[in-house]
Amino acid sequence: MLKLIISHETRQVMRTGALWSILTLLVGAIIFASWSGGRSIERQTKGAAAAVAFEDGLRNHLRKDTEKYAAEVEAAGGEYKFASVRHSPGSGPPQGTNAGAVGAETSKYVTLPPTGLAALSVGQSDIQLNYLPISLATTLDVTKNLELENPINLSTGSFDIAFVVIFLLPIFILAMSYDLLSSEKERGTLAMILAHPISIRELMASKIISRAVVMLAVVLGFGLIALITVGTGLDTADTWIRFALWILATLLYLGFWFALAVLVNVYGKNSASNGTVLAGIWLILVVITPQLVSMLATTIYPTPSRMELTIAAREAQTEAEKNFMSKLDEYYYDHLEFVPEGDAKAMDFLTLAQANNNSIEKAVRPLYDNFQNQLNKQEALVQRFQYLSPAIMMQLALNEVSGTSADRYEHFLNQVYVFHVEWKEYFSTKFLQRYPLKPADYDNFPEFHYQEQSLGLVIARLVPSLIGMLILFLGVILVPFLALRNYQVASR
Amino acid sequence: MIISIARKEFAEIVRDGRFKWTAAIMVLLLLTAMMAGYQKYTTAVRIQHAAQAGTNQQWLDQGDKNPHSAAHYGNYAFKPAGPLSYFDNGISNYTGTAVFMEAHKQNFAIGRPASDQSAIARFGDLSGANILQLLLPLLIIFLGFTSFSGERESGTLRQVLSMGVTNRQLLWGKALGVGSAVLIVVLPCILVGALALSMAQSVDHAEDMVTRVMTLSIAYLMYAGIFLFLTLAVSALTRHARTTLMVLVGFWAFTGFLMPKTASEISKFIEPTPAFGKWMADMRAHQLRGFDGVPPFAKFARYTKELFKEYGVSSVGELPMYFVAVRLQKLEEYDYPVFDQHYGMIREAYTSQRKVQDQLGILAPTLPLRSISMAISGTDLIQHVKFMTDAETYRRNMVVKMNDYLSRASVHLNTTYSSSNYMRADEEVFAIVPPFEFEPPNLNTMLTEHRSNFILLFLWLAASIGLAVFAANRISLERN
Repeated sequence: MLKLIISHETRQVMRTGALWSILTLLVGAIIFASWSGGRSIERQTKGAAAAVAFEDGLRNHLRKDTEKYAAEVEAAGGEYKFASVRHSPGSGPPQGTNAGAVGAETSKYVTLPPTGLAALSVGQSDIQLNYLPISLATTLDVTKNLELENPINLSTGSFDIAFVVIFLLPIFILAMSYDLLSSEKERGTLAMILAHPISIRELMASKIISRAVVMLAVVLGFGLIALITVGTGLDTADTWIRFALWILATLLYLGFWFALAVLVNVYGKNSASNGTVLAGIWLILVVITPQLVSMLATTIYPTPSRMELTIAAREAQTEAEKNFMSKLDEYYYDHLEFVPEGDAKAMDFLTLAQANNNSIEKAVRPLYDNFQNQLNKQEALVQRFQYLSPAIMMQLALNEVSGTSADRYEHFLNQVYVFHVEWKEYFSTKFLQRYPLKPADYDNFPEFHYQEQSLGLVIARLVPSLIGMLILFLGVILVPFLALRNYQVASR
Repeated sequence: MIISIARKEFAEIVRDGRFKWTAAIMVLLLLTAMMAGYQKYTTAVRIQHAAQAGTNQQWLDQGDKNPHSAAHYGNYAFKPAGPLSYFDNGISNYTGTAVFMEAHKQNFAIGRPASDQSAIARFGDLSGANILQLLLPLLIIFLGFTSFSGERESGTLRQVLSMGVTNRQLLWGKALGVGSAVLIVVLPCILVGALALSMAQSVDHAEDMVTRVMTLSIAYLMYAGIFLFLTLAVSALTRHARTTLMVLVGFWAFTGFLMPKTASEISKFIEPTPAFGKWMADMRAHQLRGFDGVPPFAKFARYTKELFKEYGVSSVGELPMYFVAVRLQKLEEYDYPVFDQHYGMIREAYTSQRKVQDQLGILAPTLPLRSISMAISGTDLIQHVKFMTDAETYRRNMVVKMNDYLSRASVHLNTTYSSSNYMRADEEVFAIVPPFEFEPPNLNTMLTEHRSNFILLFLWLAASIGLAVFAANRISLERN
């Protein structure tokens, strides 16, 4: 009997114009979202490639000079020498032999590769810069650059699949199921249907299942198509496990909204008032609660002011500089290229510059650590308050699955900091030893290999959001099914 | 007649439980948003003032050093909060707040608040503007969607029409009734907002504050009017209240949520934002090869020859100015056109994206309103661009002043050029660089810049009134 009703409902739903227009809109939104998400990730990847190519090009240029120089030394005989720091064209050994110059004047861009699903949820990846310059400069110089996206677009947010799932799908679900029982009741057909051997629970279930199946087929089908067209790394297990998690989260989230529609149908009055209530709930859960939680988090743990931090860091820097450079020349420290040829003291400036950088870094480190600490507290608060809204849970979950979350970025940053130290040590040691870099040394510069977060960790971070959504779903679905037996079939 | 219809409509709405709930939520949210915004605003103003004063003092107290080193030490420009940012924070979360101004380099603003917030900040700010842009229309829809279709369903529309009420009277009466119900929710909040405003220490903008608030109020009233008449129109055109609701909520979601993002993606497609890496590589390469293809050092060698000729000298030692300082300044200037071109490219991309999005306001009234609101609150792109331009002008002036001083004061060092031989300047010298001051674009510029948005908003209002009149005229006894 249930099967019959479901097939009847499905056929009925499929024949209504409203459903087709909703599905058309949905499919259109998914296609548009995959296209724009794909473009966003492509832009980042191209930007990273351009930055890497440019800096590698500079280094390659220096290497070519050393090759030429090596050939000259080979031909003329004599010693392969270390060059003093010089910017303007000059004679003698080329700059490429000086590890200090190579390390200070060129950067090594290290990249956070997008996961296979990055295009599905742009998340924070349009704010974070996914490729950072490593050089002899301070840690702060590594992280100071920002991606160039238009602030208007950043504040509007991306039209990605995550937006379609979190914002639009609930609207579509509510639009196709706000009047499940009420419309039959208003038309007077409800009493007639229930005269057949079917319980109201079965009727409700079949109505919901038929709609949910149609919707899920579309979402999952087109989600898969989106992944295949704009996803990357389709040959890796990582991508498919992430996609499975994506499906799981989406199922729970959609389940919640269908359950909510049932709940309102059971307790609601007429179709119009059901619609009002559901639209109101959507607004509260998807728009207002996240904004409130965000406001709460920034009120309880106010983000420390970057302005104050900047001033404090500068104060510390000035002190460090004053102490360090008091007897030494700050002027040439800025302009090594203007140190006169053959000036004995001159060579020391790069040494000084490095030592000075180190002392600045030591002085400002505690300030930045303190800053980060406050941010972590804020983040922890948000994690706790996410249960107030399925939209927050879903957004955090999708960012996590797609690898566009804040914690994956931090995971990347921590590796970058380690690599930065390694890079600095490599070049400053060679420089301090006055070791002349040879062409072959260019092949042995430190390399950065990003270690991906283990999937176990990703899943562990996902679990709270998923469980939260599951509980919410079960809670919402259970109430109406227990209450349905008291449903008033005919209007009084 | 209009008055009695309005009175009936008003009483019906106000007595409804729906109204009490939505009104209570709306008032509560508006007040919370205003209060939180106000608190953030005063903190921001205090911090900005302190930070700018601090950096100005740091510049003077940096310790005796060579003037050019002082230019390297540089200065910061801290962006002041917009005069009405506590009502509409605009794009402030996504623009940097501090520009480091130093020798040789033009820098982007750093310290973007959104980078220091959790991912849920991306859901948007709970600001007065946001509530009025998104919640107010929904409130109007909720209060007004049954005005015709509900009466049609319950059969009272026939009765009213049979009493000889004209369609126009019915429409304007209902508009007045629903409108005043909306106003009694919103007005108290606006009054509280105005009160907060008068307490705010935004003395810098005191003279045009009244104009700003008036213009904002007019824009939001027009926006509310658009939804009011659309609601009445759809209600008159549809047979069932539930259809009315679905159509209106659909439109609301379209204009408030779907279109802003769609417009943003479309504008990015028409005018792509350069990626940082690509942009940076292009600019640095351009710097290295020289703006016009002559590398800076070659260009300077040429300039040196001209300089020697001009002063009729044959060696650096005979020049009446400090040669190193001349070189520093010249190399600085060779970069100006490169910076202008590449930074200008970003600015133009942003601006044309903004214009594309504004034009799409023809499809969604939220878009022009959003632009107007940010502009008048002083938290939009035009404001930010002006800030960045002011900072760059300041930077160039600062570097010129320092190099110039060096050039004049160190002439005697031309002959004894070595690394132990340089001039030191002190606070008095640094004081020739005046403190940074941001001159926000004035209100008239903003209003002119956004004229098309006002026109769009007006067209929307006219069209929705037109539709409502058309729909009301179609109502007839025979068809109901």
